[in-house]
Order: sequence, then C-alpha cells, then structure tokens
Amino acid sequence: MKSVVTTVVTAADAAGRFPSQNDLEAVQGNIQRAAARLEAAEKLANGWEKVTREAGDACFKKYPYLKQQGEAGSNQTKVDKCYRDLGHYLRLINYCLVVGGTGPLDEWGIAGAREVYRTLNLPTSAYVEALTYTRDRACSPRDMSPQALNELKSYLDYAINSLS
Amino acid sequence: MLDAFSRTVISADAKNAAIGSGELATLRKYVSEGNKRLDAVNAITSNASCIVSDAVTGMICENTGLIQAGGNCYPNRRMAACLRDGEIVLRYISYALLAGDASVLDDRCLNGLKETYIALGVPLQSAARAVSIMKASSTAHINETNTTGTNPDETRFRKMETIQGDCSALVAEAASYFDRVASALA
Repeated sequence: MKSVVTTVVTAADAAGRFPSQNDLEAVQGNIQRAAARLEAAEKLANGWEKVTREAGDACFKKYPYLKQQGEAGSNQTKVDKCYRDLGHYLRLINYCLVVGGTGPLDEWGIAGAREVYRTLNLPTSAYVEALTYTRDRACSPRDMSPQALNELKSYLDYAINSLS
Repeated sequence: MLDAFSRTVISADAKNAAIGSGELATLRKYVSEGNKRLDAVNAITSNASCIVSDAVTGMICENTGLIQAGGNCYPNRRMAACLRDGEIVLRYISYALLAGDASVLDDRCLNGLKETYIALGVPLQSAARAVSIMKASSTAHINETNTTGTNPDETRFRKMETIQGDCSALVAEAASYFDRVASALA
C-alpha cells in the first residue's frame, strides 16, 4: 500500500542503495505531520456511527424522492445499505488518515465505483451530498484541532471529487 | 509492501472496523520515536560496508576452509558475491527498520532465498553465521555500545553522535529482523 515510507523504500530499492539522507528527511517530514492525521483518525473513529447517521440523514433530507417507489432507497433494506456505504467511505477515510495517503480510498473505494454505481443505477449525487454535509458540519475546535480538521477535510474532498 | 501504518490498515480492514484509539497508540509510539528510528537506520547505513565486511571476515575466520581452494569464498569472484549478498541482506533489513514492518524484507529478500542458496551450493550455516555477526554489530551501532574490540589503540574507531535515549525497543525490533533472516535460512 502506498505511503511515504513505502514510496521511499521502493525508490531506494529500485536504485539498489541504502536509505539516503534525503529518504530519511522525507520520512521525517511525514512523521512531523502525523500527529494531526492520527488525531483526526481517532476522533473520526470515536464518532464514526454518529457521523455516518448524520451524513445519511442529510442526504435523504435533501433528496426525499430517494425513498419513493422504484428509487434507490425505496425500502428499509436499501436505506440501510446506503448508510452502510457511507460508513464504508468514512472508514476508508479513517484508513487514509492513518496511512497518510489516498491509497485505501483509491484501492478499496474509488477503483470500479463508477461502474458499480452505473450498473446498480445509484445516484452519486446523494453520496456527494452526504459527504459534503460531513465536511461542512465538522468544525474546529469543537470536533478536533485545526490541523487535524484540515487533514480530514482534504480526504473528504478527495472522496467527493471522485464521486462528482 | 507495507509499513507500520498500512499494516494496521490491512488488519483493521479484515475486521471491517475503523482504526480506533487502541491501534493508534502503537502508531503514536512510532511517530514519537520517529527520530530515534531514523537515527537507527542512519547508524546501520552509515556503517554498512564496515558491518558487512566485518561479518564476512568473521565468518571466514571461524571457518578458514571457505577461502581455501574448493571453499565457497574461493576465488575472489565468489568472495565478492558473498560480500554483495551480505550488503543486500543488510539493505533490506534497513528498509524494514525504516518502515517498521518486515513485509519488504520477506517479499523482496527472503522469499526463495534458501532455495536459491541450496541450488547454488551456498552453505546456509555460514550465511546464517554472517547474518548473526551483522546483527551483533548493527545492534551495537544502534545502541552505541560498540567498542574498540581487542585492539585498544584502534584510532579509526567510530561512534555515531546521536542524541542519547533508550533505544532498547528499536534494538529489539532490529534484532528481530536479523533473526527473521536467520530463521529463513535455517
């Protein structure tokens, strides 16, 4: 999985050399920013169920037609799956915050998502609305420190961009 | 290839759970001891050729048959191959120590190493012995407990001037990577 450390090691290995001073500096830069990332990951994990619920509620509030007959949320099973998917995205964002890169979202969330949503006839705008709500709802210092919030928002934005 | 962070992600994904405070505690330790880890990697890489040549020399001193005609370190060409392999093993161990995870060592170095050595007729015991000498000198370099050895007048003796701290956890981690190589060859 791609992260700063694995990228550095891959490059050093391709050249057949020991980790150089530059490599160590790159890892050190990553480590210095890690505290904010880990804080955001922890806060997100703590509030994970609540955040998922709020995000799903926001999306059904904006698009009530989704619960009509023949739409993506026409029965409780389908609605539950929508909440599950949102939880899935938030969990992947939690992973991205831990790794310090978009690897988990890319590999497990985004790759093939467009094709799946098209085949199942799911509206991506509903996911965008839910994640946008989460992004705008999060605030500092109530939820987490400003740097941590910055990290969290950048991954939320990344997920939103991939869906829009 | 994984590092300490992505290893946590893989195991959390298998459980379908977000990464919470429990797992984050170990990662925070990686972060807070980050500089120590980089110093440890630096201690290995800066002394790499010394560590490797010392280990191979020690291995041969204990078993001089290796450099006599018919031995596995005779002629120079095979001795050079031996030194090269020592450096490769040490290099992958330095990667593993930097990443805080053994996957790079396992996937790119140890996978099939024993079979290759058997096919090439390399004595596994000697190789493991060289690795264990590398382990001793590397851990001494990380811990800064390296000494002048048998010669008190040795003037080329060198210590890395790093900030003193308790490196026992890192030393144990580095030692575990060397042991991993030894057990892969056993």
